[in-house]
Amino acid sequence: MIVRLTYSPEVVEKPVLAEIILKTGVPINILEAKVNAQKGELVVSIPAKEKTLEQILRFFKEAGVTAQKFTQILQIDFNKCTSCGACISPCPTRALRFTPDWTLEFDEEKCVACRTCVNACPVKAITVP
Amino acid sequence: MSENGRTETIRSIDEINEKIRKGDAVVLTAEEMIKLVESSGVEVAAKEVDVVTSGTFGAMCSSGVFLNFGHSDPPIKMTQCWLNDVPVYKGIAAVDGYLGATVLSETLGFEYGGGHVIEDLVSGKEVELRAESYGTDCYPRRHIETTITIDDLNQAVLLNPRNCYQRYDAATNSTDRVLYTYMGTLLPNYGNITFSGAGQLNPLCKDPNYETLGIGTRIFLGGGIGYIIGEGTQHNPSAGFGTLMVKGDLKQMSSRYLRGSSFYRYGVSLYVGVGIPIPILNEGIALTTAAKDEDIFVSVKDYGVPSRPDLRPSIKKVSYADLRSGKVEIKDKDVPSSPLSSYKMAIEISEVLKEWIQEGRFLLTAPVEKLSKQSVVKPLKIMKKEPKVSEIMRTNVITAYPDDLVKEVAKKLVEKGIDHLPVVDDARKLVGIVTSWDLARALAIDKKRLEEIMTKKVITVFQNESIDVVARKMARHNISGVPVVDKENHVIGILTTDDISKKLVGGRTTI
Ligand code: SF4
Ligand code: SF4
Repeated sequence: MIVRLTYSPEVVEKPVLAEIILKTGVPINILEAKVNAQKGELVVSIPAKEKTLEQILRFFKEAGVTAQKFTQILQIDFNKCTSCGACISPCPTRALRFTPDWTLEFDEEKCVACRTCVNACPVKAITVP
Repeated sequence: MSENGRTETIRSIDEINEKIRKGDAVVLTAEEMIKLVESSGVEVAAKEVDVVTSGTFGAMCSSGVFLNFGHSDPPIKMTQCWLNDVPVYKGIAAVDGYLGATVLSETLGFEYGGGHVIEDLVSGKEVELRAESYGTDCYPRRHIETTITIDDLNQAVLLNPRNCYQRYDAATNSTDRVLYTYMGTLLPNYGNITFSGAGQLNPLCKDPNYETLGIGTRIFLGGGIGYIIGEGTQHNPSAGFGTLMVKGDLKQMSSRYLRGSSFYRYGVSLYVGVGIPIPILNEGIALTTAAKDEDIFVSVKDYGVPSRPDLRPSIKKVSYADLRSGKVEIKDKDVPSSPLSSYKMAIEISEVLKEWIQEGRFLLTAPVEKLSKQSVVKPLKIMKKEPKVSEIMRTNVITAYPDDLVKEVAKKLVEKGIDHLPVVDDARKLVGIVTSWDLARALAIDKKRLEEIMTKKVITVFQNESIDVVARKMARHNISGVPVVDKENHVIGILTTDDISKKLVGGRTTI
């Protein structure tokens, strides 16, 4: 799950993320960070599901950090996609794979928005909105 | 591969066509044939089945289209021509041209090229035509600019010198950087494997003895009807790498089966859909049409070595079944593998072709002449030897030691007029490099010893490397000099971009 965290000025200096990692044992990964004295914005990948994920999102809320789920990290235009597979093996997290009938399938939960697949696609079927 | 008793003719192509006309022909896709032979055996399958359809859908660079634009008034003898800024080959008659799939747009580069123009034409889109000429008495016009669609063209003939590779070696990458190749994105340190080809659906794999394939064989091409017009370029049947030359009327084709494509930092190409019906004339052919991914082998080649494809080191032999499983073991590690050609589309093509035959819309043809089973592929003979590092490097290298004083070394550089100074240990093994710029900076900030300022991660080359490869490496790292080392990392020479350009002036101007 990719989440955008927005820190208000009051909490920007608190080690919220580190505390939550310690508390839950989930290795949250920072993908992008924009932090200054007034405001902080992090894009993180949280490798957790269901209950644990909900718990982590609650912890952020309690600490005064707004967590916003990325609902669409990548856009795959299935009218363009030929299901060739050129994007599959370059994906570092196995977020792209074939269904049993050899159609491309995207598992958003696993995607870390690295964009390797965007360049790997020969027909430009993958874009970042 | 036809074994004894398996070559006996069961039916002729004429008999099959008779059944197709009546709507009685038994047609299976290659996947269905595999299942039937598995469940009922080859004898039953050979008796029951008349035709097996194959299919493939992959990037086929050796593709293009012959176009006739028609004459304008006053007429022009086009000497140069562009479609959507993509150059068209104009070395033929006044308004004939050939647009190759891999030509890049002069304005959009890697983003758009010949393959895309072909797709746009097939989709009925408007395409900008621009042409120049020197003007003659009979063709006075010197310039033309207009828009056309495929309907405005007198002829648009897809004519692909090499399509439908029987099989193709897979690719991986041993180096420590990402490679962008015509085999797609190859991650460092054997990070992934890419492969191409439809394997058990591939037309040539279904008739590897070319008993039914040759000039005049009617095929599915790009969604329309096409013909095999001979063996393709680089046809290499003795090694099991046969290819086809094909043609068909572009006006009947569909952009679903002809797709322009760009391979990141490599170039553009065209995905072409080809499907070929294999008539089951005897049991031997029934058997080969049932060949499975498990039976079709290729090598995994290391694209980290910039050599001729056949000289690239082969890491492993694998079957299409291994490759399609999604992972292949290399050096005790599971390496993810994925195709570049669409198996899903290959299945679709074999199904569409099956439908055409069942509906009586597509009759089979016997080849006028079969494909060659003997020809071999020769590499390009190069009369002028590719220069190697050893021929150009300087061997009287001036080196320094890590504890040398910055001041003294700076003096030495100025005296000798050099810019790059390898730093070595007592055994002459390379431990670092300093440039005149590093030294100037070191003096300014008052550093004393070389080891404080030298670059420790040094880009090096070997003396047997080709100059072109080394020049690309230097450009990539944005450096102007590299130490030449032996296998034990001893410095044996130095090579600078200056040396390269000086030595090559007169011979070749660009590197
Ligand atoms: S963006 Fe990166 S992680 Fe996400 S699907 Fe593409 S390659 Fe995989
Ligand atoms: S590389 Fe592009 S066309 Fe091929 S499967 Fe991935 S998204 Fe689809």
